[in-house]
Amino acid sequence: MKSLFVEGNSAMHRVSARAKLLALAALGVVLFLSTNLLLLALAVVATAAIYFSIGLPGRSALARLKPVFLTIVIVALFSLAFNPWHVAIVALLRLTALMLFAAAVTATTTIAQFIDEITLLARPLERLGLLRANDVGLAVGLVVRFVPEILDRYSAIREAHAARGIKVRPTTVLVPLVILTLRDADNIAAAIDARGVRRHLN
Amino acid sequence: MSTRDLVLSALFAAIIVALGILPPITLGFIPVPITAQSLGVMMAGVVLGARRSTIAVLIVLVLVAIGLPVLSGGRGGLAAFAAPTTGFLIGWVLAAFVTGYLSERLVKSEQSALVQTVGFFLAAMIGGIVVLYACGIFYLAFAAQLGLSKAFLGSMAFIPGDVIKALVAALVGRAVMVGYPLLPVRS
Repeated sequence: MKSLFVEGNSAMHRVSARAKLLALAALGVVLFLSTNLLLLALAVVATAAIYFSIGLPGRSALARLKPVFLTIVIVALFSLAFNPWHVAIVALLRLTALMLFAAAVTATTTIAQFIDEITLLARPLERLGLLRANDVGLAVGLVVRFVPEILDRYSAIREAHAARGIKVRPTTVLVPLVILTLRDADNIAAAIDARGVRRHLN
Repeated sequence: MSTRDLVLSALFAAIIVALGILPPITLGFIPVPITAQSLGVMMAGVVLGARRSTIAVLIVLVLVAIGLPVLSGGRGGLAAFAAPTTGFLIGWVLAAFVTGYLSERLVKSEQSALVQTVGFFLAAMIGGIVVLYACGIFYLAFAAQLGLSKAFLGSMAFIPGDVIKALVAALVGRAVMVGYPLLPVRS
């Protein structure tokens, strides 16, 4: 699984992750408080300038935005059919600007930086006893490690179906997939505890 | 939270991610391919129960936020939270919780197979459809300024597919409960 981070040394890359995330949150609030078309259009131009200056080749920069931008446009067209035109345009500009800046933050922040920030955010919750902040990184690592294994298991189950001449149905594939995957949990948990990754056991 | 519970949640998060990568499975009777990860969210609820399934979904959302393309179609990154349909994404958390909670309440091991399947189906319908659509529609109405009634109408087109997914989730939930029971008992 490849991260959406892009190597580079643009101004956005040099800003700290925390500052970028705070700016994104602030931008979200400002965009949703404003209904001024000119201001929102300026926000789109500014965020587009930021996004396209981070050193991503034009074609792949656009390809990344396509799925989200498509839903924004479709919903805006749907809105245009029922609501006054400026309402639809305001929503279109707002979400486009937010999407551009969010994509810029994602492309210029490494996974390690993100996990540091999330761990920091989780510290107060840890004090309340709700979770352990370091578990966030552990869980992310586990998922990245096991997705390829689940995909392999899926093809093995499909091959078993073909070998036995059974039609592939959702339940006949998903049930063994879920059981085989979750059955590993005890061994993985034992391995994690044996290495003392989470320090004290419970 | 025990290490085992954390691992179970992470493994189910990995299943939800994998469901977004796998080629869609076609159903025998209706030509609708089952591709969406919302099936994974319902399955998490019926298999793992409220607490662990909520954590599984939260892990998926963390993966999205830190820039991994884990949503179906290779979507990911913070921009995925800027779409008008983001309510349907954030709503997964509540959907998994409600599906899991209702499964724990409605399904007991001494019930007959049919009653268990119906219990899981109701849990997946209420959690994965009623609760999820409530989150999604409210967000759509607010973020895209659509108005509640229009947002409601526009979302209705996706209900039939999700009812089928709830049925698949119920069948999977019941079969997993027989083969490898994990659902916590709640009285």
